Amino acid sequence: MNFTLHIWRQENAKAKGRFETYKVSDISSDCSFLEMLDILNEQLINDHIAHPVCFDNDCREGICGMCGLYINGRPHGNDDGITTCQLHMRKFNDGDEIWIEPWRAKAFPVICDLVVDRSAFDKIIQAGGYISVTTGGVPDANTIPVAKRFADMAMDAAECIGCGACVAACKNASAMLFVGAKVAHLALLPQGQVEANERVKKMVCRMDELGFGSCTNTYACEAECPKQIKRQNIARLNREWIKQLFSGNHKPNE
Amino acid sequence: MDTNKLIKISSITKKLLVGLFGAFLLVFLLFHMCANLFILAKDGGDAYSAFCHFMGTNVIVKVFEIVLFATFFLHMCLSCWLWWQNRKNRPVRYHQPSRTKTAKGSKLAIVTGSLLLLCIVFHFYDFYFVKMNVVKGTYMVNTEQLMIAAQKGNQEADPSVEQALIKCMTKEGGISADYKWLRNIESADKEVLQKAYPEAEFEPDFYNMARQKFSVWHIVLCYLVFFFLVGLHIRHGFESAFQTFGLNHYKYSKLIEVLGIIYCWVICLGFAIVPIVVFLGL
Repeated sequence: MNFTLHIWRQENAKAKGRFETYKVSDISSDCSFLEMLDILNEQLINDHIAHPVCFDNDCREGICGMCGLYINGRPHGNDDGITTCQLHMRKFNDGDEIWIEPWRAKAFPVICDLVVDRSAFDKIIQAGGYISVTTGGVPDANTIPVAKRFADMAMDAAECIGCGACVAACKNASAMLFVGAKVAHLALLPQGQVEANERVKKMVCRMDELGFGSCTNTYACEAECPKQIKRQNIARLNREWIKQLFSGNHKPNE
Repeated sequence: MDTNKLIKISSITKKLLVGLFGAFLLVFLLFHMCANLFILAKDGGDAYSAFCHFMGTNVIVKVFEIVLFATFFLHMCLSCWLWWQNRKNRPVRYHQPSRTKTAKGSKLAIVTGSLLLLCIVFHFYDFYFVKMNVVKGTYMVNTEQLMIAAQKGNQEADPSVEQALIKCMTKEGGISADYKWLRNIESADKEVLQKAYPEAEFEPDFYNMARQKFSVWHIVLCYLVFFFLVGLHIRHGFESAFQTFGLNHYKYSKLIEVLGIIYCWVICLGFAIVPIVVFLGL
């Protein structure tokens, strides 16, 4: 298969970026999208055309959350419930033009080419996405009773790999699905409930500070989430926020 | 709470307030729609006139009117504030247009909302501003009041007053079936009568105004577009409000969606039926 690629090139965070056009040919339809970019980079290096294209990647099996490209108007490309590394060239037609852009958000500044700085997500987690006490080793089964459906819902929320596709897809660059998932998976379990009020307050305030937008309920995040985290987690975040608003008898130590 | 803290109100709290004010407006729309249906009653507008008189004079209604305007204003301001903040969160836009499947009503909420504001200004020009005495319209007056005022006033019979009275009384729909209201008074006649009987209180005759406006095809068309926009906005608003209040659950989300669609259609059709029926003279 042959493709024409329009790739965003930007030397560093301060440089002005632009689209460069490259052609790749004889790509196997079983090739993954990132492998296709590897082939392109080999070409660029061997033929002394340009510096290789920088892009984030790590596990290449859809569990680490490192990769993330905005391909032809969709984060992680034109398929549901996958990361960029799980996207295959058979999803495209021979001769297609492919536009590849980095995540665009104030909170995710471009570092180089297609690599963006997603440490804003770490900062939100640092604000409160944890349990303060050491919980020790794995407890015996049923020492702490957790209903199956809550365990399931917490597990579904905890599937979030923090790739940032929700922010990339949202027209407001909102991180509500990410924060929702992180707040929900802890708020659903007994260990997390102790600090629930304080946690949601700190995480949401940090989210606002870092320049993420608010939720307009278009659910673009849900549509593009590679782990198919549901909008109900955003509702739970709102619910936790309301609970926190009326809880009143605590002061977060800021 | 100092200004700094007020400005820093969390995005979720702002959303909650937008939703809360929006929910109030949703209930108001239902009420407004039901009230409009009185226009269709085959009683020559007696029920609707009585209703308008009540709405125009009751103190509680007047307080509610202020609450309603405040709600509307806050709903609008907070939405615009959020929209403005959100715009700044993506300084460099994508080159490719988004191909993500999303809820279109939500994406366009700010657009339909802004267009609605424009429509509401025109709607006010048609009806509400008449009440505020900014725009001229058609008026009605309580016959009892008029008689008392006539008995008090000892001025010599003015031919123009008599002429105006006769004109109003002989007009179609001029006198209500219960003889309680003298209606369909044109603004020129109203001024003559008002001058002669300063104690009589003239009220806007919304029934005849609506009938007159809705007999012109382009006004009917404009209102239908208006109701369509209302529908689009509600389609987003109803479901969104539940989501923002945290009332979304795997069990009930489908139910809420269906209720939202039903509510949207009820409001849309309820409003649209009045101009259509009046225009077609059914």
